[in-house]
Amino acid sequence: MKTLTRRSLLQQVPVSAAALSLLPAMPALAAIHHSPKAATQLSAKSAGSMVVHVNNVATGEMTLLVGTRAVVLRDPRIVACFLDATREGGSA
Amino acid sequence: MSSHREAPEISKDPVADNTDVYAFVSPDNPNTVTLIANFIPLEGPAGGPNFYEFGDDVLYQILIDNNGDGVADITYQFLFQTTLQNPNTFLYNTGPIGSLTDPNWNKRQLYSVTRVKNGQTTVLAEMLASPPCNIGPFSTPDYAALAQDAVHVLPSGETVFAGQRAEGFYVDLGSVFDLVDLRPFQNLHINPMEAAPGVNGTNKLNVHTLAIQLPKTMLTRDGSNPTNPNDPRSLIGVYASASRQTARILVPSGQGQVVESGPFVQVSRLGSPLFNEVMIPLGRKDFWNTQSPNNDKQFLNFVQHQEVPQRLAEYYPTLFPNLAAYSKPRADMVAIFLTGIPAGVVAPGYQTFTGETLADLLRLNMAIAPTTAPSILGILGGDFAGFPNGRRVFDDVFTIELRALAGVTIPLVDPTFTPDAAASKFTDGLTPSDISSAFLTSFPYLRVPYSGFDNPSQ
Repeated sequence: MKTLTRRSLLQQVPVSAAALSLLPAMPALAAIHHSPKAATQLSAKSAGSMVVHVNNVATGEMTLLVGTRAVVLRDPRIVACFLDATREGGSA
Repeated sequence: MSSHREAPEISKDPVADNTDVYAFVSPDNPNTVTLIANFIPLEGPAGGPNFYEFGDDVLYQILIDNNGDGVADITYQFLFQTTLQNPNTFLYNTGPIGSLTDPNWNKRQLYSVTRVKNGQTTVLAEMLASPPCNIGPFSTPDYAALAQDAVHVLPSGETVFAGQRAEGFYVDLGSVFDLVDLRPFQNLHINPMEAAPGVNGTNKLNVHTLAIQLPKTMLTRDGSNPTNPNDPRSLIGVYASASRQTARILVPSGQGQVVESGPFVQVSRLGSPLFNEVMIPLGRKDFWNTQSPNNDKQFLNFVQHQEVPQRLAEYYPTLFPNLAAYSKPRADMVAIFLTGIPAGVVAPGYQTFTGETLADLLRLNMAIAPTTAPSILGILGGDFAGFPNGRRVFDDVFTIELRALAGVTIPLVDPTFTPDAAASKFTDGLTPSDISSAFLTSFPYLRVPYSGFDNPSQ
């Protein structure tokens, strides 16, 4: 089996995300109707990056934070890869 | 305080901390309403070289519900962008700031205003100038004129201002937080001392203000002009909020890069003064800040069964025997803060009722005209144009709420109750005369901020 580096893993994320069913994102929070202006102005600061929060390692549920959006998906395989990467003791 | 540092988490994030919200029919332009939301509590005027400013990473909102469901129908969003003219100096300004484009002004803020109405988003203006902080007579020699230039009339009909102002909320912080040992009554406190005048704990401090003035017809649900106080269309509910993006990462690059990503999450909100401050217990305040007003039914028990009356009876055992014996749920508090006061309860032509939805909103009956002889005690002073019908900058909301909590408004809903004699006299002893400068008579009504050179002073 090909060794999975963190770089190749992260490159796989968009493909995996597209192939998975998407869950509603953060329904419990106060509804904030952020404007396109808000999205454009503030997401420009984080252009080219994405934040992934693994909500539950056991179920593989994670939230992808992109610009001013959140996409929740469930993929135990990707989370397992994350765990493997952390066990390798990789540095930033 | 009204809502300054009122919850554990937001007290550590002053840039996003709502302090006060005001909503009133503009006295000098009664076809309009003025909405004000203040942020950043207790600004020391001399707090340089990085003087106070709005957060570039905070979404500030003023929200209006005009159909009584506790959900905003109209939202005004303010987003800021800080620019640095000269990164090679430590100074905020390198000479006198004579205009909003003066090259001597190094660190300045621009902002956009966006309206979200009935799901439709419209950017109303971009690159609007916020005035500098009031540094002192050499750096900002004609501050009033400088700030006036930062009052912007938008093509869409609104007038806006965003910048530093003098704190308008007056309260004896030191005595309130010393177990409500109000100085004029401290001879009757369980820890008795000689009675003394109140001390304004917010005097000579500044805040940052978002203010907007707009025609009443832009606020009603159907565009009508509100003239009948009994018409539900005359009522609006107002609150303000601050939100941050979900994630913030300090990139370990050594360049100070920060990545912020994800949807905005509400971290602060404010409708009625002192609601979260004194009604919501410490363990729930942060959660309350994240909630939308239409979910406030979950906090009903805290409004019905308040802690302050219990403490008053405890700390002033001789003053409040009737209050101490009253154990019914406080329906007067529910009406004042969560539904508005229905018609026929106070006086003909007075109501702030927005419906059965329980929501902490600052309710304003836009059909009630401003008065030329206002009382700082609002409804308790027989002035129906003041709090809790909206809130004007000079209203003594601390004393109004203190007396209401002490029982003076219980008879509105329970005629069997007789308020204690002290309830209608209780106060921290302050009036607007305890603020060092007068309020303005026109937009944005809050005063020019105190300058760093002069405050504090010997």
